[in-house]
Amino acid sequence: MPILEVKELKAYYITEKYGRLYRVKAVDGVSFQVNKDEIYGIAGESGCGKSTLLKAVSGLLKPPLQVLEGEVIYNFGDDVLNILSLKDDKQRRQVRGARISHIPQGSMSVLNPVRRIKKAFQDLIRAHLGSMERSRFEEMVKKHLDALGLDWSIMQAFPHQLSGGMRQRLTIALATILKPDIIFADEPTTALDVVVQRGVVQLIKKIKKEQQNTLIMVTHDLAIHANLCDRLAIMYAGKIVEEADVDVIFNQPQHPYTLMLLKSLPKLGDKSIRVSAPGAPPSLIHTPSGCRFHPRCPEATAHCRRENPELLELEKGHRVACFLKGGC
Amino acid sequence: MKADSKNTQIKQRRPEEVGVKEASSKLLVVDDLTKVYTKGQGLAKSKIAAVNKVTFSLERDKPEIFTLAGESGSGKSTVAKLILGFEVPTSGSIRYKGKEIAKLNGEKEFMKEVQPVFQNPFETFNPLKKIHTYLYETEKNLAEADQGQLVEESLALVGLSLAEIKDKYPSEMSGGQLQRTSIARALITNPSLLITDEPVSMIDASLRMSIINLFKRLKEEQRVSIIYITHDLATAYYVSDRIAIMLRGEVVEMGSVEEVLDNPLHPYTQLLKASIPVPNPADKWESEIALSDLETKEYLRIGCKFSGRCPRVKAICRECEPENYQVEERYVRCHLYR
Repeated sequence: MPILEVKELKAYYITEKYGRLYRVKAVDGVSFQVNKDEIYGIAGESGCGKSTLLKAVSGLLKPPLQVLEGEVIYNFGDDVLNILSLKDDKQRRQVRGARISHIPQGSMSVLNPVRRIKKAFQDLIRAHLGSMERSRFEEMVKKHLDALGLDWSIMQAFPHQLSGGMRQRLTIALATILKPDIIFADEPTTALDVVVQRGVVQLIKKIKKEQQNTLIMVTHDLAIHANLCDRLAIMYAGKIVEEADVDVIFNQPQHPYTLMLLKSLPKLGDKSIRVSAPGAPPSLIHTPSGCRFHPRCPEATAHCRRENPELLELEKGHRVACFLKGGC
Repeated sequence: MKADSKNTQIKQRRPEEVGVKEASSKLLVVDDLTKVYTKGQGLAKSKIAAVNKVTFSLERDKPEIFTLAGESGSGKSTVAKLILGFEVPTSGSIRYKGKEIAKLNGEKEFMKEVQPVFQNPFETFNPLKKIHTYLYETEKNLAEADQGQLVEESLALVGLSLAEIKDKYPSEMSGGQLQRTSIARALITNPSLLITDEPVSMIDASLRMSIINLFKRLKEEQRVSIIYITHDLATAYYVSDRIAIMLRGEVVEMGSVEEVLDNPLHPYTQLLKASIPVPNPADKWESEIALSDLETKEYLRIGCKFSGRCPRVKAICRECEPENYQVEERYVRCHLYR
């Protein structure tokens, strides 16, 4: 049984402006499964709903974000949990942090600028394990930092004294100190320099190996996915359009959007002409009719304009949502 | 002080020995450019050379795309600010068509010929101002014409039409469209040099290449030279002719982009190249790398700035600042190539 199962999830931002309701369909009917011990990647451009998907799946629902339909089921082995059925945010908070953990985007704004790093660790541990002796706390944190190759001296620092890469590594350390079963990473490498980026990927791999947890990685950078993930889902305008093993996505992509994304990637040592698709990603308030990619798709037919293709299995483990590839 | 006296002992070998005659055949000459910022006050005062002895030049008759690449804090944006005259250099000089930029600053002729394109198009434009007013204002102020013809021509160059942007606010347009408008605005004055500071880092992956291809076309068809500042070596390889790799204010390697990135000589360039993620699952990172110390530590380091992380460090690297050494067609600032 998979550790995480998402069924037909619909999460919209619903706001009211001048007496009119606006529905931003950020996640619109998404289903996927994540197996234990695997690294599952979610790729897509900015504004395709990938961060919202993470929020909804980890139960971080704050208005105007609402889940309209769908189920999110965690199976931790000893405990099966439907996180959306928990009405009380207190109950959800017990799960988050201890069993599900979240590495946020932009470490700059995550750590409190007027408190030392140590305090952040203290807060987290106190909230989940209750108060403990100082020596035990220090031993626990030291052990974790040693394993990640970070120095104890940074615990006394304020966030502004550290570089962006160091802050990001610290937030990763903070998110994994309680050995969660599932880690959600939301663009952990974005806005970092290439060398630091590699260091962060290195660190995530290390944690994964040591703690044997499941990782869900969200980023727009396909090269990072190629480096890290086992399976990869491509999102476009609130829907998953293709999902397969990472090798299959890169070597035999089927959906026209995936093809286009891969074609536009420049590579070192290759100066051949790269093109990007015409048009821009659609607004999630006024989504196009039928297949959401049809205004930009070079092969779109009248059928694509009318109806929405379902995400169907093309081969074992390779799902595609496209009429041209045998969808219906 | 100690480092300075050593520098004078070794004969300076600059990438370009510039004379006044030579300068007039060049579009832009950046010569020994240094910018020092002071940090803190009183006893805690320290000096950081954000740009340290940077030298390069662009030919007048041969338009090219010249990339300044490096990590954040390598001083690449400061070089752009210095060329545009937003900052005043501490020492060294920048000459545009043989004239000192410090003296040209604010002159219309100079503003007409050197135009900037900034990183985030949503911050470039005032959100409360309609987008087309920027184009008309530039035309009126710098091109000294107000027929609107130049506006339409330059919009056509970037693949937009006036109807698409007329009466729109920045928030109503996509990042890609807005960045194209920003480039169109720069093209109104028919410039010879575009300074683009991370022009695609805020653009969606599927639209990024359209902007990059636009630069290529501008170079070939409009004969515009472009200084392309980026941290993305993959697009730099794709678009540019020459590249300079910067580290903590210094250019550590400079040469044609194929040479530098296919076969990097400086250990830092080698590290950078190894850190670019390859979009191919068969090619995963296996080995581990060393990460940098605090930024300021590297700036203040005596000797080679990379000596703290360099896998091939020698005793001399920690004591004495390397000069620019010429290896075939390129320049490397590393003691290994003495």
